Amino acid sequence: MKKNLTYPFLGVFILLFLGACVKDTDFNNLDEIQLTPVVELDLIYFNLSAQDFFDENTSNPILTVRDTTAIRFLDDSQIQESLKRADFYFRFTNFIPREFIADFQFLSESNDTTYTTQTLVTQGSPQAPVVTEFEQVVEGDDVLLLTQASKVVVSVTIPSSDATLEGDLNLKSKTTYYLEL
Amino acid sequence: MQNLLTCLISLWVVTSIAQNKQILYGFEEVPQSLLLNPGSKVKQDIHFGIPFFSQIHLNIGSSGISAYDIFGKSDVDITTRIRNKIFELKNTDFFTVTQQLEIINFGWRNRKEVYFSGGIYQEFDFITYYPRDLAILAWEGNRDYLDYEFDLGEISATGDLMTVYHFGVNKQFGKKLTLGIRAKLYSSILSFRSTNNSGSFVTRLGDENSENIYEHTVQNANLTVETSGYASLRDSNGGGVASEILGRAFFGGNIGVGVDIGGTYDITRNLSVSASILDFGAIFHSNDVETYHATGTYTLDGIELLFPPLSAGEETFPYYDDLVDEIERELPIDTLTTSYSQLRPLKINAGLKYSFGKLLGNSGVCDCLNPGGSDDLSQAVGLQFYSIYRPKGPQMAGTFFYYRRIAEFLSAKATYTVDPYSNSNVGLGLATDIGRFNFYIAADNLLRYGNLAKAKSVSLQLGFNIKIDRQ
Repeated sequence: MKKNLTYPFLGVFILLFLGACVKDTDFNNLDEIQLTPVVELDLIYFNLSAQDFFDENTSNPILTVRDTTAIRFLDDSQIQESLKRADFYFRFTNFIPREFIADFQFLSESNDTTYTTQTLVTQGSPQAPVVTEFEQVVEGDDVLLLTQASKVVVSVTIPSSDATLEGDLNLKSKTTYYLEL
Repeated sequence: MQNLLTCLISLWVVTSIAQNKQILYGFEEVPQSLLLNPGSKVKQDIHFGIPFFSQIHLNIGSSGISAYDIFGKSDVDITTRIRNKIFELKNTDFFTVTQQLEIINFGWRNRKEVYFSGGIYQEFDFITYYPRDLAILAWEGNRDYLDYEFDLGEISATGDLMTVYHFGVNKQFGKKLTLGIRAKLYSSILSFRSTNNSGSFVTRLGDENSENIYEHTVQNANLTVETSGYASLRDSNGGGVASEILGRAFFGGNIGVGVDIGGTYDITRNLSVSASILDFGAIFHSNDVETYHATGTYTLDGIELLFPPLSAGEETFPYYDDLVDEIERELPIDTLTTSYSQLRPLKINAGLKYSFGKLLGNSGVCDCLNPGGSDDLSQAVGLQFYSIYRPKGPQMAGTFFYYRRIAEFLSAKATYTVDPYSNSNVGLGLATDIGRFNFYIAADNLLRYGNLAKAKSVSLQLGFNIKIDRQ
C-alpha cells in the first residue's frame, strides 16, 4: 500500500515540476509596448509695457525688443528620441493700440537657427484689450529641427511708437508634448 | 535556453506574500522548520546542512497581475492590456523579490535534552508598492488630468541585502510544551528604504490673474530615501566592489540584532498548537549612510522674460539657470549622513494541528511512558496563520494543510493557502530521509505549474541536510 501511494505521489510532484511551463504567451511583443504620454507644460510668459518700445533718454522709438532664454530640456537626448509632436500655444492680450509681430527663433547651442515661427498680434486698446491666440503644430521632420534647439529668442516688433503710447502686451504660452517612449 | 529565459521573465509577475513558508512551517522532518519556529519539535539528535545547499528559497512576485495578463495571447494589443492594468491595480498592490541562501546550518542535542542550532544565511528582500498615480502620470501624461492631485505618498519601497548569523536553543518542558528562542545578528550589506512619503503634484488651469496658462504645483512634498552601503559603492566606480560586499557580509557593514521566539503545546494526544515570532529586532545603520530628503511646495509657471535693455554684446538674464536654482531652493534635496535604525519586518506564524492515523515508531504501540504528550501519528490536518509587517501594514495569509507520513523515508505536506490576493494556492512539500541523508523540496501554486504565466504566486524551497539519531 505504501508503495502504491508513494510513487504516484512522487510522480505527480515530479511531473508538475518537469511539466512546469509557460505557454500561450508571446514575450516577443515586448517591442510593441509604447508609452505615449501627453504632457502639458508652461513655456514662457511676459508683460511688456508700451514704454518698453520708446527710449525716453534718446526720445527714439524702439521698434523691436528681444530677449533670449535657454530651454535646455528640448535638446536632451531622451527628448530627441521620444518627441513626436509639439503643439505650441501662445495667447497674447494686447492693451496697446498697435499691432505687433512676434517672432520665436529657436537656436542650437552653437546659435544656428533650427526652427522659427511667427505671428501677428492684433491691435488692442487700454480700455478694450484684444486677445490673439496662436497655435503652431510641430511634427514630422520639423520635430527633429526643433529638438536641436537649446534656446529660444523672442522678438516683438511694433510698427511705430511714441512717448504717449500706453498699455501693456501680455503673453502666456504653453506647449503640449506628444511623447513616444 | 529561450524557454528558461521565458520562465524567468514570467516569474517577475507572480504574487505571493514573500517569505511565507507555509509548507515548511511545522514540517518537523525538515531541520529548517526550526528557523520558522524555534520552539517546534525536533526529531533528530544532530543535523548539519550541506553548505550552500541546505536551504535555497526564492520568491518573486507581484499582486494583482500575472505574466499572462500582459503577455498572454490575445486580440487586444499589449499596450492596451498594460494600460488597463495600470488603472486596475491599486496602490496597495506590491511587487516583491525575496531570496535566501543558507550557507551553514547545524544543530545538536546535548545530554540535558536541549537542542542547539545555528547557522548563517544570506537574505535579499525587496518590496515596492505600486505607485498608481505616478504610473498613470508616466503612462498618460498630465493633459487629461488637469486639477488631479497625483499622490507622491504612494512611493513606498524597501530593499535589504544582508547576512544573518543565528544561534538558538530548543527544549521540551514536560510532556506538552516545547519552547525555543533564537538570537540573530544581522550584517547589513546594502539597504534602502523610502516609506512614509507625502505630497502631491497637480497641474491646474490658471485664471486671468495667473502668470501663465497653467500652474504646475508640487504641494507639501516630504519625500525621503534612506540608504546605507550605497554611497561608498557609488563612489568606488566599480573597483573593489566584490571585496567590499564580502567584507560587509562578515560584520564589515552595519550591524543589527534580533530574536525569534516560538513554542509548541500539546493540548491533547492529537491536538497541538504552535506559534512563533520571527525577526523581532532592528538594524542600526551608522556606517556609509546617506539619506536624501526633499521637502517643500513650489509652483512652476514657466519662464518669465523681462526684456532688459542691453548694450551690444551684453547677455540677458540666465532665466533657465535661475529657474533651476529657484526649484532647487524651494524643493531642496538634502543629503544627510545621520544614523538611523530600521526595524526588521516582523513575522508571526501560528498553527493548530490535529494528528490521526497510525502510530509511528518501530513498535507501533502507544508510548505509555509519554502520558499527556502527543502521539507521533502518520497523518495530520490543521490550520496555519502567517503575517508579515510591511511598510503599509501587515500582510496576512491563512493555510489549511494535510500532512502524511507516506513511508518510513518519505513525508509529505499539502497546503491550501488563502491571502488577500489569491484563493487558489495549493502547495506541496516532500521530505525524504534516506539513511542519514535528508532532502526536501517545497513549492506552492502547483495548480499554476501547467502554465506559470498565469501564476500570481510561486515560491520554492529546497535543500539537503545530514540528520543523525543517536538511538
